[in-house]
Amino acid sequence: MKVLRRTMAVAHKEVLHIIRDARSVYMALGLPVVMLLLFGYGISQDVDHIAMAVADEDHTPTSRRLSEALVAGGDFVRQGDLASPDDAETALRSGRVKAVLVVPLGFERDLARGVPAAAQLLVDGSDGTTATVALGDAAGILQATSSARAVKASLSSGPRVRVRFNPTMRSTYNMVSGVIVLILAMVASLLTALTVAREWERGTMEQLFATPVRRTEIIAGKLIPYAGLGLVQTLLVITLGSYLFEVPIRGSLVTLFGCSMLFLLAMLGSGLIASVIAKSQLVAVQFALMVSYMPVAMISGFMFPIANMPKWLQAVSMVVPGRYYLTTLRGVLLKGNGLDVLAGEAMALGGFAAAFLAMAVWRFRRRLA
Amino acid sequence: MSEDACVRVKALTKRFGAFVAVSDVSFEVKKGEIFGYLGANGAGKSTTIRILCGLLSVSSGEAMVAGIDVVHKPNAVRHAIGYMSQKFSLYLDLTVAENLEFFGGAYDLFGKSFRARRDAVAHDLALEKLSGELTGSLPGGLQQRLALACALLHKPQVVFLDEPTAGVDPEARRTFWRVIRHLADSGTTIFVTTHYMDEAEYCDRVGLMVGGKLAALDTPAGLKRTFVPGRVYEVQGASVAEVKKAATDLALLDIEPFGNVLHVRVAKDGPDAEKLRDELTRHGVHVTGVIDAEVTLEDVFLQVVGGATKPSQAPQEAQAS
Repeated sequence: MKVLRRTMAVAHKEVLHIIRDARSVYMALGLPVVMLLLFGYGISQDVDHIAMAVADEDHTPTSRRLSEALVAGGDFVRQGDLASPDDAETALRSGRVKAVLVVPLGFERDLARGVPAAAQLLVDGSDGTTATVALGDAAGILQATSSARAVKASLSSGPRVRVRFNPTMRSTYNMVSGVIVLILAMVASLLTALTVAREWERGTMEQLFATPVRRTEIIAGKLIPYAGLGLVQTLLVITLGSYLFEVPIRGSLVTLFGCSMLFLLAMLGSGLIASVIAKSQLVAVQFALMVSYMPVAMISGFMFPIANMPKWLQAVSMVVPGRYYLTTLRGVLLKGNGLDVLAGEAMALGGFAAAFLAMAVWRFRRRLA
Repeated sequence: MSEDACVRVKALTKRFGAFVAVSDVSFEVKKGEIFGYLGANGAGKSTTIRILCGLLSVSSGEAMVAGIDVVHKPNAVRHAIGYMSQKFSLYLDLTVAENLEFFGGAYDLFGKSFRARRDAVAHDLALEKLSGELTGSLPGGLQQRLALACALLHKPQVVFLDEPTAGVDPEARRTFWRVIRHLADSGTTIFVTTHYMDEAEYCDRVGLMVGGKLAALDTPAGLKRTFVPGRVYEVQGASVAEVKKAATDLALLDIEPFGNVLHVRVAKDGPDAEKLRDELTRHGVHVTGVIDAEVTLEDVFLQVVGGATKPSQAPQEAQAS
C-alpha cells in the first residue's frame, strides 16, 4: 500500500513535469504528427507522376491505347511527343522526362498476328528507385493492355504477380507502422533518459534518496506517465494513419496495444539505462538516440529489408526490439494476424522489456558512492 | 556514552580512493541540540552528513542516528531524518504546494495527516500565502524555507542541514535561524554545517573540521576559552610589525589582522585597553584607537586551523565561498 502510494506520488510529480515543460509535450505529441506527415506525404517511396514522352510511329488505335493506358494508371504523365525514337536519348539526358515510350511502326499489326510486339519503354536508370518502380508499373500495364485485347500473344504468358495485403503496394502502409516504431522508440527512450538525468544534474535525486522512496518506486513512478504517453502516441499515429492514409487495421486492437506496451517498456527501460549511467542530460540523450533511434531506423527492417543485410548485421538486428515490434505492427495492421502467429515476437518484446528494466533498476544504485 | 545521544559517531572514516575525506571522527549529539559543523570546503562536512543520512557507505567506524545503525541499515533511517542538501534541490517547475505534496507522499504522508502537517509546517515557515507560486520564481531565502518545510513534513527526530543558508540574504538567514532554534526547543535535533562564523554562534555546540579530522568540539564559549584565552583588543592605525616590536612586556599572545584593524590578544592578567594604548604610544607606535573586542569563532577557527595546517590557506577558503 505504501509502496503503491509512494510510486503514485512519483508518478504524479512526473506528470506535472511533463505538463509544465512545453518541450516534452511538443516532443511527445507534436513530433509523431510531424513525422507521420513528413513520411506519409513528403518522403513517400511511391513513384507516380513519372514524366513520360511518347514516340509513336505506329499511329494506330492500339498504339494510342497503350500510351493512354500508361497515363490512365496515374503512374505516368504524358509530357509531350517525340517526332522520332532517335530523340529519346536527348530527352532522357536533359532530364525533362524520366521515361520514353517508343511504339514502332507495325505494332498493331504484329499484335494482331500474334508476333511478339516490340514496344519499348526507355527509363532513366540514374534514378534507381524511379526506374525500378516505373518498370514494374509499366510491365503490369502493358500486360493488362495486351490481354484486354484478348490476343493470345506471348506477351501475356509470363507469371502473374499478385501482391497480397497491400495490393497497390502503397508505401504509406509500411510508413505508418515504421513511424509508430520510430516515434515510440525515440520519444520513450529520450524522455525517460532526460527525466532521470535531470534529477541527477539538479541534485533532486540525492534529496529523493534521503526519503523513504525506494529505487524501484522511483523507476516505476517515472515509467507510468511515460508509458501512458506512449500509448496515446500509438493511438494518435494509428488514428491519423487510418484517416489520412487509409491504413487498414485488420487485426485485434488488444493485441496491438498489448505488444505496443511491451515495446514501450523496453524502450523506456533503455532510456532509463542511458540516464542512470550517464547522469547528465546531454550524454543521456545522445546515448538514448544511439540505442533507440539509430537501430530502429537502420536495421529494424523499416527502411531496409533485413533479408538484404549481410549476415552479421542480421544477427545484430536480432537484439533490436524495434524489429519484432515492426513485424507485429505490420502483422496486426495489414495481415490481421493474432497472437497465434505473433507469439514469438510478443515473447521477444516481453523479454526485452523485462531485461532492460531489470538492468536499469540494477544499475540505479541507491547509494551515491 | 550518554543515554540521550541522538547521533553517535565513533571512529568514522571515509576514503575515496587514496583521499581520506573523513578521518577517525567521533562525537555525540544530544536530543534537541543544535550541533554546528564548521569547516572549510572539502573539510569533510558534507561527507559526514551524507553518511549519517545513509547516502554514502562507510570505510570504517560506527554511526548511529536516532537509534538506527546507518552503517549496516542505511535505508532504515529515512523516516527518522530530514535532509536538506547543499545543492538546492526542490523541483523548480512545481508550485510550492506541489513540492510539499510530493515530499509528503515520499514520506508516506497522505490525506488528513498530510494536510495537517502541511498546514502546520507552512504556518511555522510563513509559506501559507505562496502555495500557488512556482518554486523557481521565489527568491533564494523562500526557496530555502520551502526546502526546510519539505524536510520537516514527517516530523523527523534529526534534521541534517548542509549549508542551508549559502547564498541567502542576511535577513532571510536570521529568519531561518529563528525557525531552527524553535525546532530545537521543541525537541528536534539539528545537525547543521556552515562556514558562516556568525551562524556558528547560534549553535549549542560546534565541531571544527580541518582536513577530514574533527579538530575541536565544544560550545562556542568553551571553544573561545580554550583556543583564544585572554583578552582581545581592537587596535586601530598600527601595523602587525609595529605592535610586535613595541609589545615586549605586555604578555602578548597573538596579533591577527582583522579588516583594516588588528586584533591584539593578551593574557588574562595582561593590560587593559588604556594601558595597552599608553604602552604602544610610549614605544612610538602611533595608534588611533584601542577598544575592547569580542572574541569571535573566527578567531577560534584561525587558531585551530593554524595549529592543524599551514596558517594561511584554510581560513581564506572558508571566507571566500
